[in-house]
Amino acid sequence: MIQKRQIGLLVLAAVAVLLFAALPWAVGPYPLGVWLSLLMWIALAESWAMFSGLSGYVSLGHAVFYGVGAYVTVLLWQVVPLWLAIPLGGAVAGLLALVLGWPCLRVRGPYFVILTLGVSEFVKYLVISSEAALGRNGRLLIGTPSLTVLFEAMLALAVVSAVMLQLVRSSRLGTGLLAIRADEVAAEAVGVNAAALKLVSFTLSAFIPGMVGGLMILRSTYFEPLQAFSPTTSFTIVTIAILGGSDEVPGPIAGALFLVLLSELLWARAPEIYMIILGVLLILFVLFVPEGLLGRARRLFGSARP
Amino acid sequence: MSVILSGQLLSAVLVLAALYSLVAIGLNLVYGTMRLLNVAHGDLLMLGGYVAYWGFAKWGISPLLSAVVAMALGAALGTLVFATLIRRMFASPRLLARVESNSLLVFFGISTVVQNVTALAFSANNRGYSYLDDVVAIGDTRIAANRLVALVIATAACAACVVFFRYARSGMAMRAIIQQRDAAALVGINVERINRQVFAIGFALAALAGALISMTQEISPFMGFPFTISAFVIIILGGLGNITGSIIGALILATVEVYGVAILSPSFRSILVYGVFIAVLLLRPQGLFGRPIAAR
Repeated sequence: MIQKRQIGLLVLAAVAVLLFAALPWAVGPYPLGVWLSLLMWIALAESWAMFSGLSGYVSLGHAVFYGVGAYVTVLLWQVVPLWLAIPLGGAVAGLLALVLGWPCLRVRGPYFVILTLGVSEFVKYLVISSEAALGRNGRLLIGTPSLTVLFEAMLALAVVSAVMLQLVRSSRLGTGLLAIRADEVAAEAVGVNAAALKLVSFTLSAFIPGMVGGLMILRSTYFEPLQAFSPTTSFTIVTIAILGGSDEVPGPIAGALFLVLLSELLWARAPEIYMIILGVLLILFVLFVPEGLLGRARRLFGSARP
Repeated sequence: MSVILSGQLLSAVLVLAALYSLVAIGLNLVYGTMRLLNVAHGDLLMLGGYVAYWGFAKWGISPLLSAVVAMALGAALGTLVFATLIRRMFASPRLLARVESNSLLVFFGISTVVQNVTALAFSANNRGYSYLDDVVAIGDTRIAANRLVALVIATAACAACVVFFRYARSGMAMRAIIQQRDAAALVGINVERINRQVFAIGFALAALAGALISMTQEISPFMGFPFTISAFVIIILGGLGNITGSIIGALILATVEVYGVAILSPSFRSILVYGVFIAVLLLRPQGLFGRPIAAR
């Protein structure tokens, strides 16, 4: 039975991906941009869930990986080809996560949350002052790939991100992380190497944001550190994960869909309105729907957890 | 050398330290009694600043008078947040199980809403006004009158806090809850009522600090978070729940910040503050005077 259901889900996912892949030929540039941002949030939130959703260590600093990926891509612009520059951005983001994670992951609970935010801001100001020292006031990229190319690349990243989360979840790594989330001390007592598992999954969860940052800077064609490293990115990722539920692959997808559709419907063009919506949703969901949209839907329709 | 020991820098340290103490004591109270990390603390400060700005720019009301209004509004807001959001969190066992992370997300949501509502109402531009901006000379040191007034009021408010915690009944009750929450409830302290008072006092202190700060520097809707970070550094340095420690922590951070900026350059201020923040969390999460316990 379960086998049959899983195959059904896989077919559904494959059809959805194919439909998405055909989108650039079906819709105009504006809707395509909206779908692109949906895919971007899915990719980001799935990779966030790989670490924070499973381990319970809430990272409010994933913007730093996004920003670093964007920065690397900008620095390598017209130095190396893009198919190399984007993955390099991801690799540098992963490396940064490894370096930052080693000391930071010993800190727990709310301290960890605010530490990740502080580290992300720290790196942002470092980049700002190094750009200022170089005399660069923003960098313009001319001749970036078309929206269609970026869309297809982002779709690939979203799929890879979701598959990675599924793989991590069903591996020993995922089981260990869930044990850490439940009780880190008890997990260590029964032989889970908490420090190593946290570091590995933190590093894994940084790759995709690095590459997403690289793609999105090609879309905006303008690099400015305040924007590339904006904490809004981290904040949106966390909100999406809380909205949808961050335990399983469909959670972040549901959260991203909900948020993107809502901000489209409300015409939240003014960034202030968008942020107010995010804040209110975050408060309401933490307090009233802590299991997320996915968990709530499950409870309503009474289907058992697979 | 003469620059380093100049009264100019020393007075800057004192003014900053007094304001920082005020901000940190409020944050420390809420954290100490309820283990809630209020990342929206700096935004309450910002609101206090806007109350003072608005009163002065619109009706010419003295910011010192507005500071009282700001405190009252802060206290009301604190009571409201406690009665609606925080009590709801404490009432649900499921939320309480991960209350530290959950409350942080809720406060983060509050912070975002407050910042952006302010930005919509007043625009994101910096705002400033001139009040008592003539320069007073004390010996060789020249200091703007508004900074001197801010220093005096902030110091008096901190002293009032210290006295309150030492002698007032509810102040002692707050210290008891900070030390042993369950035992405090056992000996008959009404923990919920004290918690509500803590929220009111904490928010009011932040609003007061904001009103004072608005006299000395320009304000903007997004000015709050760096203050939250500074206050956080201070309460970790001085010890969680330790009010006197907060004042010492504030002096240390203000010294580092003022001299760091004077020696390096103003553009390094954010790097400096966040750098100290990261270093403190990683190296001495138990504080300067604390016993070595793991940061939870």
